[in-house]
Amino acid sequence: MFRPVLARTIQPRRSLHTALGNLPHTTSPLVSNLTFFNSVTGSNESIPTFRVLDGVGKPVEGAQMPEIDQSLARRLYENMQLLPTLDTVLYNVQRQGKISFHMTSHGEEGTIIGAAAALDPEDEVLGQYREMGVLLWRGFGIDNVMAQCFGNQEDTSGKGRQMPVHFGSPKHHFHTISSPLATQIPQAAGVGYALKRSPERRGRNIAACFFGEGAASEGDFHAGMLLASTIPAPTLYIARNNGFAISTPSSEQYAGDGIASRGPGYGIDTVRVDGNDVLAVLAGIREARRRTLEQGRAVLVEAMSYRVGHHSTSDDSFAYRQRSEVEDRKRIDNPIVRFRLFMESQGWWNADEEEALKARLKADVMKAFKRADALPRCELGELFTDVYGGEEPWNIREQREELKSLLKKYGSTWEPWKTELGKFRSKGADLI
Amino acid sequence: MLASRRLARSPIASLLRRNSTAVEPPPAGGHLPSVATSQYLRSTREKALRTPGLQWNDEDDPHAIIGVERETRKMNVYQAVRDALSIALTKDDNAVVFGEDIAFGGVFRCTMGLAEEFGRERVFNTPLTEQGIAGFAIGMASMGHTAIAEIQFADYIFPAFDQLVNEAAKIRYRSGGAFNVGGLTIRTPTMSVGHGGLYHSQSPEGFFMGASGLKIVIPRSPIQAKGLLLSSIRDPNPVIFMEPKILYRSAVEQVPMDDYTLPLGRAETLVPGADLTLLTWGTPIYHCETALDMLANPPAGIAQHVPESLRKAKIELIDLRSILPWDAETVAESVKRTGRLVVVHEAGMTAGVGAEIAAEIQKRCFLRLAAPVKRVTGWDTPVALQYEKFYIPDAVRIVDAMVETLSY
Repeated sequence: MFRPVLARTIQPRRSLHTALGNLPHTTSPLVSNLTFFNSVTGSNESIPTFRVLDGVGKPVEGAQMPEIDQSLARRLYENMQLLPTLDTVLYNVQRQGKISFHMTSHGEEGTIIGAAAALDPEDEVLGQYREMGVLLWRGFGIDNVMAQCFGNQEDTSGKGRQMPVHFGSPKHHFHTISSPLATQIPQAAGVGYALKRSPERRGRNIAACFFGEGAASEGDFHAGMLLASTIPAPTLYIARNNGFAISTPSSEQYAGDGIASRGPGYGIDTVRVDGNDVLAVLAGIREARRRTLEQGRAVLVEAMSYRVGHHSTSDDSFAYRQRSEVEDRKRIDNPIVRFRLFMESQGWWNADEEEALKARLKADVMKAFKRADALPRCELGELFTDVYGGEEPWNIREQREELKSLLKKYGSTWEPWKTELGKFRSKGADLI
Repeated sequence: MLASRRLARSPIASLLRRNSTAVEPPPAGGHLPSVATSQYLRSTREKALRTPGLQWNDEDDPHAIIGVERETRKMNVYQAVRDALSIALTKDDNAVVFGEDIAFGGVFRCTMGLAEEFGRERVFNTPLTEQGIAGFAIGMASMGHTAIAEIQFADYIFPAFDQLVNEAAKIRYRSGGAFNVGGLTIRTPTMSVGHGGLYHSQSPEGFFMGASGLKIVIPRSPIQAKGLLLSSIRDPNPVIFMEPKILYRSAVEQVPMDDYTLPLGRAETLVPGADLTLLTWGTPIYHCETALDMLANPPAGIAQHVPESLRKAKIELIDLRSILPWDAETVAESVKRTGRLVVVHEAGMTAGVGAEIAAEIQKRCFLRLAAPVKRVTGWDTPVALQYEKFYIPDAVRIVDAMVETLSY
């Protein structure tokens, strides 16, 4: 199904003369010439990037298409379009102060949706925070997205405890997002190992772990790669290299050949794909997933894209990059446009359908937004639950009692509390 | 000598002699003569089976030997830990044990023979990465598996601080109860060992005390180690289990062979008393025992500092056992009776566990306190190698604190 382009990234061992033999406990041949090396490709060239479609949606010469039919293509496209529709509304809603925070996926739709489609729906996903598309692909639903971002009583991700975009759902095999970067990377190795030890999931499911190129600078990246390779576990690492970690360009993040060059150092099969080409992502991650299952050990995919949006609603990216650069990337290298052009070339899509889809998605999102906005938060008492499982410790019980008595004294007179209490389900009555 | 005295009194002496492990040589630099002769260690089967709070965990097992038939075996702390791990692995197919160098038995022998018995898929070495070990364990536990991880020394738990405090402690809460890592237990050797210097001596329990969502447990003896470790492994919360490493070989007692647990979050009153509450955990239990002897019968050298009137003082000694959540009720009840509290711990004083306890007790017992709460702790310095005997809260410092508090 694939041309050798994928297989080529695994270098055959170079044949050096071994007249001097080997060092003990290594396969390293002794040599008499002092040679330093750097590039992992062995030719001082960068690791290549796998691409299927060019910038205008035409299949690249020689590239083999991943298996895809019209219905899968339409599903990919609709989910890719849903992301910016949701992002635009949530971004503006944050600007109006209705939610406290948001992070968009602009520019990474191809990476996220392509990856989601390549995974089994029951593969365990551990994300960073820009992977809402995986949940949407799996049927999490717009209402659940809104509930989490508004932190209302329907927030099944965390009862309104975490910041917006920190989604999670055991039903959708999506581990709850947390803000500390890269902590999910060694955790994924453990999730993979648990899958390997579960008879009903062994050989069927993998752990898929997403992270950005900035997070890959954390020590936990090193730990995770190391663990999932030395303690073999079916763990697929997907690096989203979008060029920026907030304001820090990747040139200030690393001096090597991106994240992919590190994989071979850990003994991990590695590939770099064009993250703006949803079909390259789909093909690359399908094959990576197959290898992960087959080898029962870590595989690394680096998806190259560009963060078109600001880092978050707390960031103005034009403080550190030119608006024109962003506009250029959006125009020249837009994953959604690229795939639409491909779909149109196949006769799978047209302008009317485009218009109808956009109208439908916008209506769905607006409806969900209005609904979420009108719902109250959970009970105020949920502030104190779920800290521990089993018997509740005395300190938490006593502190709940203390807040109760304070609410009785000040709840109806201290303005900051009075206003806030009104937003909870029974207005704090569960405590008062 | 100790072993022979115990055996002579034991009705199953011959059995024990055959089954018990060889007596270990005393640890290098051992400075705790009281451990070898401690009255708090249960030297007979009968005493071991009467351990307060002990809960048998095999009542449903048709093959279990119930009641008086239960057997005990002489074990030190590392053997008791190994025994608990073996039971956990036997009874729970989802349990795995891992860490640095644990496959060959561990640098303190706590995992001896487990890899051979249960296979390398369940008992395995990890690369040398503490944050990785903790993260890997969290991942396994989040899938409902039982992950029993080892950090080789508590001094090296800090690279895993982020995983433990930001992740393990908060996963249940942040996911609204959808995910949890209750199957996670981190075992780690702690406290001073006579010659451990800065990085083989630390007592970091205080750093974790503010990480609500975690539990922290520290046993004092083989019976306690086995029962509390099995409770920690089965508790629905992530637990950091800190094993006082100087006791691994030096503390020896009869330990029930069957599966039993001891309660978490509960202190144990070791010696009842009415005049002063002495509260500690881990290794200093034995310094406290020596100090109680010294208070009653001061050696000639220090007798002048121990007024006759205080020598008959009845001191209540409490082993806190669980640091988080700690048993404020038992401690407060005791202090309300005695009116005086001395807290002893090896970690430095400032923002140590003693500070938290002192604050809570002065709140609960303000009108009953006859003296300020006194803390006897390590100094606010690192644990300096050649200075250790002057760093640790040893018996003479505890005696001095009791005298000061009793005569306030």
